[in-house]
Amino acid sequence: MNKWFVPLVLLVAPALLMAGGAPPNSDSLPTEVAKGRQIYEQYCAACHGWQGEGAANWNKPDEKGEMPPPPHDETGHTWRHSDAMLFRMIAEGWRHPFNKTDRLAMPAFEDTLTDEEIQWVIEYLRTLWTDDQRRYQQNESQDINQAESPS
Amino acid sequence: MKAKVYRLNSGVSRLFLFALIAVMPGLVQAQSATDGQAVKALTTDASGALLVLRNSGLLAVEGQSTTEIPLPPSDSGAPPRSMAKGADESLYLAGPGLGIWRYDNASKRWQSLNDTLPDLGITAIAAHATQAETLYVYLGESGMFRSRDGGAEWVKVDSGPREPVQAFLHSDMPGSMESGWLFAGTTRGVARSMDCFCFWGDAGELRGTVTAIDYDPSAPENVYAVIEGQLHHSSDGGETWVGLEIPQAITALTFSPKEGLVVGTENGDLLSRNASGEWVPVHE
Repeated sequence: MNKWFVPLVLLVAPALLMAGGAPPNSDSLPTEVAKGRQIYEQYCAACHGWQGEGAANWNKPDEKGEMPPPPHDETGHTWRHSDAMLFRMIAEGWRHPFNKTDRLAMPAFEDTLTDEEIQWVIEYLRTLWTDDQRRYQQNESQDINQAESPS
Repeated sequence: MKAKVYRLNSGVSRLFLFALIAVMPGLVQAQSATDGQAVKALTTDASGALLVLRNSGLLAVEGQSTTEIPLPPSDSGAPPRSMAKGADESLYLAGPGLGIWRYDNASKRWQSLNDTLPDLGITAIAAHATQAETLYVYLGESGMFRSRDGGAEWVKVDSGPREPVQAFLHSDMPGSMESGWLFAGTTRGVARSMDCFCFWGDAGELRGTVTAIDYDPSAPENVYAVIEGQLHHSSDGGETWVGLEIPQAITALTFSPKEGLVVGTENGDLLSRNASGEWVPVHE
């Protein structure tokens, strides 16, 4: 029995960890997601949190009158945006229209990251959402594609 | 001869008096069918006519001409409470117990859009400012639903602001991550979200129960809200608000291509502003 127990644990443990909501281990992730996580940690985590938890009080303006960086995990609203919109926001940056400053609070990464690298980041963000949120976001992406494709 | 003329005059007077007594209740009823009842909701149709919803029914008002539009044939008999105009000028009526209905101008009939809604408890509706097939409804207990196919399929998109929504608006004000903004008049004030439903935050510090809300499509940063009969205006998309002086308690408002801002009052009147900014009656 011991002979089978160790391999079985090794096989099942990553799935149990994922199901339990623990952050995915880079070793168990598909290549794109692992690369996306690496890029996220290098460029995004400082503002949006190492686990995608966002800034504290992200839904109220800070002392500068700017909306703080939102979470990317299931507590935020990243999952409400289509792939196209997420790509645009990472590439072109974003300034909330009611911010009291004029700067792009979310900087543009189009000169730093390739299109492929931005896609990998989005792949990684998907791992931070619930199944329902992933389904919602997939539908949003499809709806936007249908709306934009020529009839 | 004089006596005959006197008797004739006296007879005519009596006849006139009887006729007046007989006809008076009808006149009073006709008057009360259009006047004196609070305006519940306002919008315009494709020709620019004002559509006026009162307890007595729905009227299309254009110049001196008034046409009654029959209400949806609901089994429940629940009266409509909300009215919205779609980006293609379609007319929508909704209310608790009634659900949501669209008026087909060609057949002059109402079409129920309730097949995929979980219940009919709609307290507020909004139509997307630029996408004709996109509609939003707020069901008090079930949250916010959106349809992107003209009401055939409804999908729950959000729970909405913390406080219950009394009035709902989609605006094409610039600056959204998606295609526009949603304003919800709640029992706390005006809540605002981009139409991705990213999150609902307070639109400024206006407090109280909002019963009507609308915006100026030609200058979308201009939003108007009614709280306890008082009209409030924001010229910066809901960040700050000022109260507007108006001679009567307001119950409804809309933007008319012809008249500009039109308000409906508790007394049943329709008012718009003249060139000097004074509120004057819109004649029905």
